[in-house]
Amino acid sequence: MSLLEVDDIEVRYGAIRALKGVSFNVEEGEVVALLGANGAGKTTTQKTVSGMMTPALGQIRFDGERIDGVPAHTLIHRGICHVPEGRRVFPRMSVAENLDMGAFRFKRPDLHVLARVFEMFPRLKERETQLAGTLSGGEQQMLAIGRALMGKPRLLLLDEPSMGLAPLIVKQIFDIVREINASGVTVLIVEQNAAQALGLANRGYVLETGEVVLSGSGQELLADDRVRAAYLGEEIATS
Amino acid sequence: MRNSGLFNDHVKRLLGCLAGGVVLALMVGNQEGVQRDFGYAFRAAIFSPRLVVFLGFGLALFVAITYWSRISPYFVRPGARPLAAGAAAVVASYGLLHWTDSNQVTGGKLGALSSAVSGTDGISSFTRTFFGSVVPGTPWLLLVVVVALGVVSLVLRLPVLAWLAAGLGLLVGVWGYIAQSAVSDYLKTADHSTGAQVAILGYAAIASGCFVIARSQTDQADTVGFIERVFGWRPGFPLAVLGTAVGLVALLTATWFSPADRNPHLSGMTNLFSGEGLSAISSAYLSWLVWVIFVVALALAFAATYLSRQAFSWASIVIGLGAVVLTLTTMHEFSSIGGKSGFDGANGPWQNIGAGPWMLCGAFTMFAGAGWIALRQGRRVDPAAPTVVAKAGSNLNQVLIIVVLAGALFYPPTATQFWQTVIVAEIGIYVLLAIGLNVVVGWAGLLDLGFIAFYAIGSYTTAYLTGTLPIKPPDWLHLTPLAAIPFAIVICLLAGLALGAPTLRLRGDYLAIVTLGFGEIIRIVAVNADKVTNGPKGAFGIPQPVIHLGPIHIQWGQSALQFWYLLLVLIGVTVLLFNRLEHSRLGRAWAAIREDEVAAQATGINTTRVKLLAFAIGASTSGVAGVFFASQIGYINPDNFLLNNSILVVAYVVFGGMGSLPGAIAGAATLTWLPEFLKDQVPAEDRQMWIGAVILLMMIFRPAGLIPAKRRAAELSGFDGVKSAETVAVPAGEGM
Ligand SMILES: Nc1ncnc2c1ncn2[C@@H]1O[C@H](COP(=O)(O)OP(=O)(O)OP(=O)(O)O)[C@@H](O)[C@H]1O
Ligand SMILES: [Mg+2]
Repeated sequence: MSLLEVDDIEVRYGAIRALKGVSFNVEEGEVVALLGANGAGKTTTQKTVSGMMTPALGQIRFDGERIDGVPAHTLIHRGICHVPEGRRVFPRMSVAENLDMGAFRFKRPDLHVLARVFEMFPRLKERETQLAGTLSGGEQQMLAIGRALMGKPRLLLLDEPSMGLAPLIVKQIFDIVREINASGVTVLIVEQNAAQALGLANRGYVLETGEVVLSGSGQELLADDRVRAAYLGEEIATS
Repeated sequence: MRNSGLFNDHVKRLLGCLAGGVVLALMVGNQEGVQRDFGYAFRAAIFSPRLVVFLGFGLALFVAITYWSRISPYFVRPGARPLAAGAAAVVASYGLLHWTDSNQVTGGKLGALSSAVSGTDGISSFTRTFFGSVVPGTPWLLLVVVVALGVVSLVLRLPVLAWLAAGLGLLVGVWGYIAQSAVSDYLKTADHSTGAQVAILGYAAIASGCFVIARSQTDQADTVGFIERVFGWRPGFPLAVLGTAVGLVALLTATWFSPADRNPHLSGMTNLFSGEGLSAISSAYLSWLVWVIFVVALALAFAATYLSRQAFSWASIVIGLGAVVLTLTTMHEFSSIGGKSGFDGANGPWQNIGAGPWMLCGAFTMFAGAGWIALRQGRRVDPAAPTVVAKAGSNLNQVLIIVVLAGALFYPPTATQFWQTVIVAEIGIYVLLAIGLNVVVGWAGLLDLGFIAFYAIGSYTTAYLTGTLPIKPPDWLHLTPLAAIPFAIVICLLAGLALGAPTLRLRGDYLAIVTLGFGEIIRIVAVNADKVTNGPKGAFGIPQPVIHLGPIHIQWGQSALQFWYLLLVLIGVTVLLFNRLEHSRLGRAWAAIREDEVAAQATGINTTRVKLLAFAIGASTSGVAGVFFASQIGYINPDNFLLNNSILVVAYVVFGGMGSLPGAIAGAATLTWLPEFLKDQVPAEDRQMWIGAVILLMMIFRPAGLIPAKRRAAELSGFDGVKSAETVAVPAGEGM
């Protein structure tokens, strides 16, 4: 049994069908990447998994139990933590307060987890009292990830963690995702940065206008011509 | 391109500013044209003295715009701002405020009093000289001299002049204060005028500014650091100092009992009541005991704050509170005797009491408060405890809390009838409403323009439950107003949910419009459903609160003061609860959804429930205010609940500082106080202009509000992460 099974879900925004029957699964301990062009429906997929949206059709199972339609604030108690697209830290709260909010589902934050987060992101420790809105983009992304970790996730949903970051920081972030995964957290990551993401992921799915058009292991996808053409900007030798 | 000749840029700007002043003067003046004489208003405006004031404003604006870059480096020097603020306060005192309430002096302002006093022989020449019997306009001349000395010393960095200015300022302030109290002793009327007090405070500010100028030679004042040093030095110490000052005024110069023609100070009390059957303890109190207690309480407060020993703190608290009780019982006793003797038509206790004993109660409260702060602070410094940031800041807050509490408890009895009514019916009620709305607007970030609807619902609920509406409650539900409070809370909670549930998906402007509509719907229903609400006539004869609990019988209604203390309890309970709430899980959840709703959802906050709770909790506060209002005023009608009132409450919250509990209180108190205060100070048609000016100044100098919430202040100090309307309105560095 997979940790997360998404079974033919359809999600609509009013009349727009953003997902038209998407299926995939994530095994415990894996890193799975979702790729796709802008507007393909990656964010929508993640939002549906984390409970911010409800599928019109289809099922989602987590640990074998149906979770489609269960709201986000309930799902978080089962260990599904979401780092939404565009970082979304609380700008007028300090770094420490942001991390505190991440542990909102608990009575009080777990200090061991906090120590782990600071160990992972020493920069956040230095800036504990600084307002999150004044952090740099990279620091904000670290904070967003740290905040999600404070919720002690079993399944971590990352939506474009490398968006707008310098290559060096991107590498750091991916290293940290690897580290998080190594500590036993399953990761479902959405990325434009296909080379990095597939290098990290066990498996990947490619979405196109609301449908899964391609899937396979990270290496397979990296080798696939269509992926290379679309995401790595390589010319395909026309056969 | 620079124009040559007469019309260069400076002249143009000057003319523009002056013209602006004239236009404003025309607009502010009486707008009613007389039939067939449409020029009437114009002439009235042009020939009224007000024009000079406006031309002055225009000139000041011109100077500010043109020379600001040259003035501002001096303005940020240490001491400049206290000097300016003090000078402004003294000018306001001399120009606007009353210096006496006696109707022997028309208008009661400094000018009128001066001309009356200089020609009166029965007053000492010391006093008359201040009021200008030797040199006309002495107070103004002295002010100009002191301020000029201060400014010169600031600009040229001459410490000697600064010392001179500080000393002279203090002398002039004290002289004015003594002169005014000599005059009011001479006039023998109970005096509630504020001019002399404001003037002495202004001079104190000037003197402290000059003191700083003399001592400090840096270019940039570190105001925040200075305040933190002062309040962080010995927690509670400033409170002990303030208590000493207030106590000395109470013991030495304040009136203790004020029936007609007599205004004895403490020293005259023994004489007045000798042989009237005062109990031993009270007569001891009035003759010497009070001094002993004062000195002991004062010494304990200083010892507690300076040495930071728990034993002293506890002793200070106990002695301080005990002294308050003793003072109150003494007051009760001597005023009862005064009432029996029928002084000035009095027929019971608590009448004709002067400001003195009340001020003394305030001073004792401050001593107790100083002990309390020392105690708390002493505990906090426990090295094992996790570090708490902003210790000095929270200590300042505690000082403010004590001062406000002492003021709220002991100031209103010394106010005039008029002010007592204002304090209850305007200030108190709107403070409660603002506290409620702050939850919705400030904490949860939901703009609600129909807030007054819940106030209406609370009021009408009270009217129903007390049986004054056309539809009557069943007998078992026929309640007194106080018993109606829980019902009003529940009904307003439900109404809050009813408004919240369908509107939750709306944000910002859209939510504002829907809530505005809700407010109007409630009012229009109240107007039209005359079978239920009695329509536009409203409900009459809503009974006043009573308590019959075993041996305790309290019937409200004799005076505004009684209502004030009831209201104070309601406000106090609300503030305590909401203070807890702000730092609770719910409070944090509100902060989170206000900051970023998606992120809040991602951290597991049930945004729907949290927003609904904001509506419901805000609404129920408003409901409590409604119950109080209905039972205090006795009749309600739909006109009490206009859209205007909703907007005013929003304005109070914004003015005070959105999302800050003390801010909401301060904002509502200031903006309800100001119009009433201006009533006797400026011509009626100018009142709105002065209010507008105050709001404008506020928005320029403190765009985040009087007492901003931590987060909003951060936002407005302009970081790039958040671009709110305010940051755009006040570009960094543009504010003066
Ligand atoms: N709130 C909304 N209302 C209407 N349509 C929406 C909404 N959110 C997303 N959509 C549409 O759904 C489709 C999928 O959007 P989604 O945000 O999931 O794309 P994405 O794959 O994450 O794209 P990107 O890589 O640009 O982030 C798009 O066509 C988008 O326009
Ligand atoms: Mg996306």
